[in-house]
Formats: sequence, structure tokens, C-alpha cells
Amino acid sequence: MENDRLVIMRVYYKSTYTYKIFQMFRKEFENFVSTLGDIVFYGLEFLKGLKNKPTTFKEIINQSARFGVSSLPITLSIVGMTSIIVAMQVAGEMVKQGGGNYVGMLIAILMVREEGVIMSGFAIISMIGSSLASEIATMKVTEQVDAISVLKVNPVHYLFTPRIIAGTFMMPLVVILASVFGILGGAIASNLVSGLTYKAYFDSVWFGLSIHDLNVCLMKALSFGFVITLISCACGMAAKDGAKGVGTATTKAVVWSFVAIVILDLIFAAAFFY
Amino acid sequence: MGIEVKHLVKSFDKKVIINDISFKVDDGKILSIVGFSGSGKSTVLKLISGLLEKDSGEIIASGGDIAMVFQYSALFDSMNVFDNISFALQERKDLRGKYTKKELEKVVAEKLELVGLSGIENKFPSELSGGMQKRVSFARAIVTEPKIILYDEPTAGLDPISSTLIEDYIVRLKNETNAASIVVTHQMSTIRRTADSVLMLYNGHAVFEGTPDELCAEKTPYTKQFVEATLEGPMKMN
Repeated sequence: MENDRLVIMRVYYKSTYTYKIFQMFRKEFENFVSTLGDIVFYGLEFLKGLKNKPTTFKEIINQSARFGVSSLPITLSIVGMTSIIVAMQVAGEMVKQGGGNYVGMLIAILMVREEGVIMSGFAIISMIGSSLASEIATMKVTEQVDAISVLKVNPVHYLFTPRIIAGTFMMPLVVILASVFGILGGAIASNLVSGLTYKAYFDSVWFGLSIHDLNVCLMKALSFGFVITLISCACGMAAKDGAKGVGTATTKAVVWSFVAIVILDLIFAAAFFY
Repeated sequence: MGIEVKHLVKSFDKKVIINDISFKVDDGKILSIVGFSGSGKSTVLKLISGLLEKDSGEIIASGGDIAMVFQYSALFDSMNVFDNISFALQERKDLRGKYTKKELEKVVAEKLELVGLSGIENKFPSELSGGMQKRVSFARAIVTEPKIILYDEPTAGLDPISSTLIEDYIVRLKNETNAASIVVTHQMSTIRRTADSVLMLYNGHAVFEGTPDELCAEKTPYTKQFVEATLEGPMKMN
């Protein structure tokens, strides 16, 4: 009798929204832990493989070309337009208030400390991260990764190494170009909107920037490049279940990379500028 | 010596997929593993090739490489035929740097000739038909002179004539390499043309072991249902 009551209560509980919502959260949490586990596992496997020189210089150059060349137009456009938008909104007001000499400094600090890196990161995630994840995920679901394993080549070392090395070292170059482009865009927009001279703008740029800013910018870029490529490759490698799995892996790579670089950005801000 | 499998067991999420399977394939012989979809045939190949870890049992293989030909070829679509075939020679840790460009070209040309596809080194997989892709994957599999070759449904998705050609090449490769071969298939034609022995699986159990002639002649409920391709019998589709 008591057992029957328990069974009925259990069946009733399982049909409630509370139970369904709880199950949904549980599934999401399991997914979160599993993805985090995949990223850590593949990250360690990648580091373990570095001592064996698992890739060639030629392959790193190929991946670097893909990383730099294909991402540059969109990265420069996004960072350039962001800087123009900021300049359009603040330059006129600052010149009116007598702060025209600080416009260049403001834009430069904004670009080098924050916008250049984070906007480039977002652009790289959309262009390169998604492409890496879907490429590796497709290889996984079409058994190409299994074929690499059967041929006695470690697929993590073979696929990850050139991509992560290229991503880590190309990201600073992309960020430098994007930041320069952003500062130039700010100069043109400030001149057009408020009549601020180029000389006044660039004088304040040099005044505002320090070596510390540039160092932190490069460190951020290196870490963003590493994290984006690692997460994208790991999500691709963890793909399963055919075409749907490729889509899921790509979405996961983009979302996780976005969240990861924002968290990293927060850590850098707290560590170096707080 | 070939390969010997003893009491192999493999489970996924507490469900037993391979349950105490044993068999032996000698050098220069071909074993066909047959059975319904989901009966564990491909899992056996993945366990032998090391793609999956066994729960228990023994896999005793003669020294040398184990090669595998995948169901849909699994050629690297970003590489041309030359790079696909020479992949192991270029990228494997113990072989990297051992071959000059000229030697690689010679090896690839030899393997392509063996599968009747000379001169297609610069083509990409997308430029080849399904049957040609399959033969390129044969060439890639034998590039390291393996002692054991595993074929996962080699004629899947091919027309009957291409299937016959592929079956001929399976026998030809066996004769050329003297490797022990295991062919997973659903096709009676593949069994008749290639196999020296047959192992039938159902729900992870071995339900028949013998020669292709015995498979056709023996009238156990399992063999009868499989040979006659009927729904009536002990094997139920999920």
C-alpha cells in the first residue's frame, strides 16, 4: 500500500513542470560539464603532442594564411566601423567642451585596450572558429578522423597543432592591423564630424598610449587566439550524430568561444587595469 | 598467423553489443562477417583496429600494421589522391622523413596501379566516382604493407558492376599482400566471391561459423533466414 502510494507520487511528480524544468537544467548542466571536459582533455592532448613536432612549417603557414587573409577584411571592417561610430558620437561633443585634444587618446585607448582585441576576437570566432569547428566535425562524422587514427597518426596532434599555433600567433597581427585601422578610422571620422585636425588627433594618440597598453593588448591577442582555436577544434572533434552533430559542434564552438574571450577580457581588465 | 580473436566482449551504456565472440583468420584468408544492421559487425572491426577499447577478451594479431577500409571510403577531401595515399608515409611518426619525394611518387604509383587507377594522383576525392574512391581507399590502406586488412561494407552504395569490381580487388589484394582480411558485408554476392569463411552475428552473438557453401547449405533458422532474405525467422529487425 505504502509502495503503491510512492509509485503514484513518483509518476505524478514526473509529469509536473517542475520535474521537466529540473530535467532540462540537469541536461544543460551535463552538456556544460561534458563540453568543458572535452576542451580540457583535447587541450592537454594538444600540449602533450607538441614535443613530437607533429606538424610541418608548411602546414602552419597554410593555416596562418587561412587565419589571417580570410579573416582580415571582416575584422578590419568591424573594428574600423566601431571606431568611426564612437568617434562620430564623442568627437563633436568633446571638441565643443574643449576636450578636442583628448579625442585621439580616447579612441586609441579604446582600440588598443579593448575594442581592437575583443571585436577582432568576435570576427575571428565567426569567420575562423566556426569554420575550424565545422571542418573538423565533418571529418569526424565522415570517419576521416578514424581513418587518421587507423593510419597510426594521432588526429588531435595532426589536426590541432597547425591550427592552434597559427591562430595563437596570427591573432596579434590581426589585432595590431585592426587597431591601427580603428585609430585611422577614428581620425577620419573626427575630422569630418568636428573638424578636428589630424595633427591634434595623432598628438593625443601618442600621448595617451603606453607600452603597458600595447603589451597587455598583445598578451590578450595571443590568449584569445589560443582559446578560440582550441575551443573550435575541440568542439569539432567532439562532434557526433551526422550532419546535425556538425551544426551542434559549430554552434557550441561559437558560443563557448564568445563566452571564453569575454571572461578572459574580464580577467585581463581586473589584472592589469583595475 | 593472421589474427585470432578470443571471447571478445564490448558494451555501450550497459548494453552488450559484442558478446563472447571468437574467431581466427589465417594469412592469405578472408573472413566475411555478416548479419543484420546493428548486429555488431562494424564494432568488431573497430575493436580490432583499436578505434574502440574492448571490455574483455583477447585480440592476437601477427606483427605489422592493421589497415582499414571504411564504409564510405573516408578519403581526406582536402587532399588529392597522392597525399591521401602517402598520408601515413608522410605523417606517421616512425615513417616521417624516411621517404624522398621520388620514393613517395613511386610507392603511390605502384599502389594505384594495383587498384587499376594509374595516373590519378592529382585528382581530388570529389572528382572521383564512388567505386574509384573505394579503390583509392584500398590503395591508402595497403601503403604500409599491412598484415591485416579490415573492410567495412566495401560494396555499400555501389552498383552491382562496381561491387563486382571491388570484390575482385579484395581478392587481388589478398593475393598480392597475403594479408589476413576481414570483410563486413550484407551482400551474399560479396560473401560468395571473396570469403573463405563466414561468421554470422545476431545481437552480438555468433550464430553461425563456416564456409560460404555451408552457409548456403545449412538450414538452421538463422542461416535460412539470412540466405533467403526473409522476415520470417528468429532474427528480428529493431
